[in-house]
Amino acid sequence: MSEANASGLAETEVKARALDLKSLDNPRAMKLYRRFDGIIILVLFTFLVLGIQIQFTLTAGDWDYWIDWRDRRWWPLVAPFSLLLFIAPFTYGIWERVRLPIMATAVTTLLCLVSWLSRYLNFYEFTHFPLSFTFPSTYIGLGILLDCALAISRSLIVSTLIGGGLFGALVYPINWSFMAPYKVPVEFNGMLMSVADMMGYQYIRTTTPEYLRIIEESTLRTFGGSVTPLTAVFSALCGMVVYAAFLWVGYKINGLDKFTKRIV
Amino acid sequence: MMKLIAGKTGLRTLLAGLVMVLLAGDALAHGERAQLASMRMRTVHWFDTKVEPLNVKVGDIVTVTGKLVTSEWWPKHMPSIEETVYLNIGVPGPTFLRLHSEVNGVPMMRSTAFPLGKVYEYKTVLRARVAGRYHVHPILNVKDAGSLVDKGTWLEVAENDSGAPFVNEITTLTGETIDLETYGLDGVYTWHLIWIAMGVAYLLYWLIRKELFIPRFIRIRELGSDRANELMTKKDFVVSSLFFTTALALILGGYLWAENKYPITIPLQTGLVEVEPIEIPTGGLEVVVDHATYDLAGRSLSMQLQLTNNSEGPLRIGEFLTANIRFLNPDVNEGEIYEGEEMVSKDGLTVSVDTIEPGQTVDVELVASDALWEQYRMTGLIHDPDSRFAGMIFYYDENGERFFQEVGGAVLPNFF
Ligand SMILES: [Cu+2]
Repeated sequence: MSEANASGLAETEVKARALDLKSLDNPRAMKLYRRFDGIIILVLFTFLVLGIQIQFTLTAGDWDYWIDWRDRRWWPLVAPFSLLLFIAPFTYGIWERVRLPIMATAVTTLLCLVSWLSRYLNFYEFTHFPLSFTFPSTYIGLGILLDCALAISRSLIVSTLIGGGLFGALVYPINWSFMAPYKVPVEFNGMLMSVADMMGYQYIRTTTPEYLRIIEESTLRTFGGSVTPLTAVFSALCGMVVYAAFLWVGYKINGLDKFTKRIV
Repeated sequence: MMKLIAGKTGLRTLLAGLVMVLLAGDALAHGERAQLASMRMRTVHWFDTKVEPLNVKVGDIVTVTGKLVTSEWWPKHMPSIEETVYLNIGVPGPTFLRLHSEVNGVPMMRSTAFPLGKVYEYKTVLRARVAGRYHVHPILNVKDAGSLVDKGTWLEVAENDSGAPFVNEITTLTGETIDLETYGLDGVYTWHLIWIAMGVAYLLYWLIRKELFIPRFIRIRELGSDRANELMTKKDFVVSSLFFTTALALILGGYLWAENKYPITIPLQTGLVEVEPIEIPTGGLEVVVDHATYDLAGRSLSMQLQLTNNSEGPLRIGEFLTANIRFLNPDVNEGEIYEGEEMVSKDGLTVSVDTIEPGQTVDVELVASDALWEQYRMTGLIHDPDSRFAGMIFYYDENGERFFQEVGGAVLPNFF
């Protein structure tokens, strides 16, 4: 305790660290590490799957369940908000400790896989909804952009501005590649409807009446016809702010280990 | 309970997320009993509910028709139907397709508003989609108040003879005929596979390496946070740049490709539609409710009414309706009972004065009693916060023409 080196570490700690570093050249130690790494991946990914599934269901649930909820205005805001606030703290922790820019891709990919499983079992098999009405959205490309922005720039700040911004802005474009056909117009009873609206009407949902949809409500509409690009800009800004805020949360959580060290 | 379910996400979604089971719609079965007695008596009075035919095959048409009167005694503590309401149908999920629905002749794809004390005639046309036996209930979803459920009718749907997969074809404004059951799925699958492959490839690149979590942790601790970036190799940089570029190109390329393939698209459509209400066609009977009591033990409601016949001919009271239960007066023997109709008490109504002559004013006692009263938990009226009742009386002139109007007021329990 009394003898501490320049960086404030106890001598025993310095010795232990040197030993740790040496162990990296020891094949038997490395074998053990690999086994531990496998366990870490398993535990971490299980946690991520359960966490994002619950988090996304609670915050963006209906917008992602039904194609007639994925509007130009709310869904491109709600979805990245919900995802980024989950991704950011993990990104911070994993980046600071092991320099792996993978959390955004991991979370979005796992969410996609678990969503498909849930849509197939709960919506398609169990309650008979067609998958054409309840398929999940994809955010994987956005996750890759966010992670790569970090990997390329090696800076959390730059990745927030570029990656966070792109993550928010591109929610609509990335899904448009397969969502566009559902926005084709149909005439029904003298009214104009999109194919998605038509599906929402025909495939009966007793507990999700039409008025529950939170879509298209906004004052931004008064700016003229360009709702989609305006939402994208706004969503990009939101993406940056949310990502930055929750990186900070990650930083705070990360700081908690100081206390645990003292306890041990 | 109904309020919780319809009130959006909440606990239900939490549970759904945890056990990954979502009971969309099933929770509504027999909701007629779950609601407060007062809510069922004083919200809407459903009548003439008719589901036909009762035995169909997959692909066949089923029509649900009926009428409802919005109660003048609508509970003040409940959000009103005069704001936002949606005509729905209580079936377990999309076991039926809704082909058409209307109220007073106005198509009901959207939500609307119903002023109180008026009549609404509704019609819902369904097409059987999944075989099974279903209890079909007309439903009104009232914003912030939950679902108002009419009584159910059992309906049997058999498999179709050909066994061919169900198709649901419509024609778009761009002239294409599409099957909504599978429409657009090729694109959905293709793009999802592309992105999942990209995501997995990216993760594999970072996770399959000699030194992963623990070794990297040890090295970073040694390097210190200032030099930690030295762990990122040139190869990492190149691969990340490739992934970044490819992802961006795919997103923008896919977007432009879809814009090109589907040049005409519209935003989701929403907004309220308006319905013209119908006035209640009263037959010249003036009704004043003196008082009403309900018998906790005797399963009955009795009403002391003062009735004045302002019409030309004699009138007879044939039926009392409350909370979807029909109490019929066996002496009058009017009022059609539909095939498969439930909650009908054929001799549940006794009327102290049989015929009210023109110009006459009489005190009449109406007693509606039946075991249904208990079965549908109407005895729960005692737990009501404002102890009022409402219902509909149906009466007939000498030609058998039916008239109806709503009665209601304070109600007291009778413990003897
Ligand atoms: Cu039922």
